Amino acid sequence: MEKMSRVSTIGGRTVFCHLDAPANAISVCRDATQVVVAGRNIFKIYGLEEDGFVERLNLRVGRKPSLNFSCADVMWHQMEENLLATAATNGAVVTWNLARPCRNKQEQLFTEHKRTVNKVCFHPTEVNMLLSGSQDGFMKCFDLRKKESVSTFSGQSESVRDVQFSIKDYFTFAASFENGNVQLWDIRRPDRYERMFTAHTGPVFCCDWHPEDRGWLATGGRDKMVKVWDMSTNCVKEIYCVQTIASVARVKWRPERRYHLATCSMMVDHNIYVWDVRRPFIPFATFEEHKDVTTGIVWRHQHDPYYLLSGSKDSTLYQHMFKDASRPIDRANPEGLCFGLFGDLAFAAKESLMSGELVIELQKTNNHKQPDFLKDESQFQESTTWTMLRIMFSEPANPSLSSNHNLNKSGNLPLVNSFSMKEMSTALNERNKENRQDNLHSLETNLNNNDENEETEGSEGQAEYLFGDAELDDDDLYSMEHDNQAAEEPEYLLPQEAFPLRHEIMDHPSAPEPVQEKPESPHVSGSEAESTCLTSMESFSLISVSQLLFSPHLPPKFFCPIVKKMLCYYAKQGDVQMAVSVLIVLGKRIRKEIDELTQEHWYMSYIDLLQRFELWNVSNEVIKLSTCGAIMCLNQASTTLHINCSNCKRPMSNKGWICDRCHQCASVCAVCHHVVKGLFVWCQGCSHGGHLEHVMEWLKQSKHCPAGCGHLCEYT
Amino acid sequence: MFVAKSIAADHKDLIHDVSYDFHGRRMATCSSDQSVKVWDKGDDGEWRCTASWKTHSGSVWRVTWAHPEFGQVLASCSFDRTAAVWEEIVGESNDKQRGQSHWIKRTTLVDSRTSVTDVKFAPKHMGLMLTTCSADGVVRIYEAPDVMNLSQWSLQHEISCKLSCSCISWNPSSSRAHPPMIAVGRDDSNVTYSGKVQIYEYNENTRKYAKAETLMTVTDPVHDITFAPNLGRSFHVLAIATKDVRIFKLVPLRRESANSSGPTKFEVQVMAQFDSHNSQVWRVSWNITSTLLASSGDDGCVRLWKANYMDNWKCTGILRGDGSPVNGSGHAAPLSAVGVPGAAQMLVGATSAGRYVTPPSSNPLAAPFSSPLPPLILAHSKIFIFYIFKASFLGSVE
Repeated sequence: MEKMSRVSTIGGRTVFCHLDAPANAISVCRDATQVVVAGRNIFKIYGLEEDGFVERLNLRVGRKPSLNFSCADVMWHQMEENLLATAATNGAVVTWNLARPCRNKQEQLFTEHKRTVNKVCFHPTEVNMLLSGSQDGFMKCFDLRKKESVSTFSGQSESVRDVQFSIKDYFTFAASFENGNVQLWDIRRPDRYERMFTAHTGPVFCCDWHPEDRGWLATGGRDKMVKVWDMSTNCVKEIYCVQTIASVARVKWRPERRYHLATCSMMVDHNIYVWDVRRPFIPFATFEEHKDVTTGIVWRHQHDPYYLLSGSKDSTLYQHMFKDASRPIDRANPEGLCFGLFGDLAFAAKESLMSGELVIELQKTNNHKQPDFLKDESQFQESTTWTMLRIMFSEPANPSLSSNHNLNKSGNLPLVNSFSMKEMSTALNERNKENRQDNLHSLETNLNNNDENEETEGSEGQAEYLFGDAELDDDDLYSMEHDNQAAEEPEYLLPQEAFPLRHEIMDHPSAPEPVQEKPESPHVSGSEAESTCLTSMESFSLISVSQLLFSPHLPPKFFCPIVKKMLCYYAKQGDVQMAVSVLIVLGKRIRKEIDELTQEHWYMSYIDLLQRFELWNVSNEVIKLSTCGAIMCLNQASTTLHINCSNCKRPMSNKGWICDRCHQCASVCAVCHHVVKGLFVWCQGCSHGGHLEHVMEWLKQSKHCPAGCGHLCEYT
Repeated sequence: MFVAKSIAADHKDLIHDVSYDFHGRRMATCSSDQSVKVWDKGDDGEWRCTASWKTHSGSVWRVTWAHPEFGQVLASCSFDRTAAVWEEIVGESNDKQRGQSHWIKRTTLVDSRTSVTDVKFAPKHMGLMLTTCSADGVVRIYEAPDVMNLSQWSLQHEISCKLSCSCISWNPSSSRAHPPMIAVGRDDSNVTYSGKVQIYEYNENTRKYAKAETLMTVTDPVHDITFAPNLGRSFHVLAIATKDVRIFKLVPLRRESANSSGPTKFEVQVMAQFDSHNSQVWRVSWNITSTLLASSGDDGCVRLWKANYMDNWKCTGILRGDGSPVNGSGHAAPLSAVGVPGAAQMLVGATSAGRYVTPPSSNPLAAPFSSPLPPLILAHSKIFIFYIFKASFLGSVE
């Protein structure tokens, strides 16, 4: 009851006051009404009032204060409210009695340590017992009734950084050392420590006994760690370890909270952290007020967990209220979310958020029944677009088209509305017979492969693009498995905003039909190649369009604004693939309509997309076929081949086939001894190589170089 | 239909970020336990942890991949006020550690005086550049002048944003018509400071980044911000996670004169705004074609958003870790209950993460948890990989 009433008298808020000089240490008196601040140039007592700090007493008196006033540490006696002790930087231990009538309150002076005294500590229950620890490696116990120390403890280690009487064990105290050791001493046995263990790598700057749990000692060191040791058993056990972000200068257990402790750092970090030792990675609370290193922290009352006092090198003294502390955990993002390329979504979340978790293994059976109507409007849109494009640009009467050998002839425009790849490839093959444009063929195959989400399984040589197919279109992000059977497509109405259309077109992307039928095409152009690709239904739908839209005297240029608009529409929708495909297929016919910068942007975006899916061949094809200057030179920049001459094994410096050193042809096949035109493979070790098929054959028989140089060739 | 697969992450505290690499075959996670883990997708589609190492001396907030052109490079940022660049070492590894890769620290960026909250590599076409933002409101842009030397980074720009920054996003557009642009989200909780999202643009003449736009309508703390993949668009789409999900469209306005030096003016349109999470939204992520946006919030759900042909954004799916689509379409996979949650955690050694299975709640539309959970001291995270199939929201998309 007494405890509670005392606590309830504490009131206030987060307040601070300016000190005249940087503080080194602070300490509160037992009833939490006054705080003493000590430093190299300051030694003052402040009263804690409701609305702030009030200076009560300046202990630093005299015109030229002696070095005894330069304090490294200060402690207010917890039983005798007029008694203070300071550790001076000159090695003196001084006690002060506030009850003295004169201005100088100094009571006793012990000058037994040879170097700076780092720490002084009163016994928690014994009034007259004082302990000190010094840089000189000794700890001394003083009886305040006597003029000199009663016992000296030699750590046989390096400098003493901290000494603390145990709260629960009357005779025990702990001392921490600069070499990383912590020693436990019995106050009655100054000859030898009871226990010693290495707590940290590097100096142990501080230690603090748990106020409740017997034998729990928290230590903090330069290795940025706070460790909690259990010494109640025979062997010392590390039970918690907190990793902070800077060396730990002070550690103080939080009253009434078993697992909480406060720390501050002596370098870099100015904040005060309160940790829950059970969650060692994120501070429970942070006080961020100080502008310079915090040097002293103390809980205001030994039974009150809500007020923390701190002094700092920035010459301020703060009273922090716990409710004003920032809670890093509340600001920490508890979730991670990322979309993968393949329609997979990685999601990491707090387990408590995922109530009732289930683990379902990937079930292929469930998604196998992909609905046939998956090919929804956007795909249909694309197919219609291609059909329209073909109609627009495939007019045979146009001399500019037919004369251009490199461009697509009418039949070569991809017919995307034929919805089966099988049919497509057949059609392509047929066309191929007529006009052997291998280059264009491969282009179209590629394009078609990427443009549509077809069942590529049926066609030969297409499998490698399956991945691209599956991924590139957003609709396919959801379909992991393609259906093998293209069923009847339901009818669709073309969405109005696809591109400027004057009619509603009913289209029937139908099931694969035997192409051999070669239905009569009533199309005005009447090209044979074209008609082979059309199923009866489609051509029917095309008739109506072509007859209405198309008259022979309209130049293709007439459509360019429409096409441009359409491409911009696709680009706006994020379907850059469509835009680039049309650009490539139409080539010169559309190029001038769209400014170079936009084209380059589309190409770059599309190439980037292809490279994400590791479709290197396709992206290379696109670069090769692009009509945009900046894109075409992509492959020429930063691609260097360093070749050695296969005869003299020295680097080839000039271009061409002849080595300028040995004046022989450098690229001779080591197997057949002919000059290699086309694909030349060579071993990077011995520079010998040859025709791909010859070398492959050779390697089946022997691992050695076919040139007979004895090298064990490696081809990767 | 979507299926969820959980991965035992084995991080000792919360996972704060998940990041796929450029090709979607590797994944990196970072956690408060100060470590980063790298996961590789095997040929069988399983994710395996191939590296796990301590990266920082504080919570690791974000992890991000560099473009593979620069090697296998990761960047992480942490509460410990640093950002770090990591590179995977290839070469002869001893047989004992087969299947494990080795990452070494190439550099530590120590310029921030406060927690570094986000780290992002700039788009590839700008070279090897790294951006960090920190809680003191400074965005820093570093450049590695020599892409072969990842240990040398020079601080090129410092943009002061005044308020505490939480997230950054580069505009991925590679068009020469779009100058380099970066969006910064700020998480200051004071609502009176409006404009929690700022857009900075590089000015070729002054060679500095200048503020081009402030989204004044965003007044709540912003947790995540992401530009949609550009894919040849002339405008930019920006998703923002704040107390709700927002999608903004930034249309660059034509300059009056070609040589006007000021920053680009934008027409800012709010395309969508959703508060269906009913809580803080923590993350937003675009799919590669920028047609689908995923958001995750404090409600423990992932929501998928998609625009129909009218440019109306709609929720097309709600994903939960239990794999039950909340909108009711699709059917839950057959389940086998292993045991009650408490008991499952007792099953030592059964599975590494103590996975457990419980039947889905009878009313999936209800919030996943309505009763306050007991305070957890040590929080753990789980990773879920959702495989999303169209059928799951055919019914709800227009």
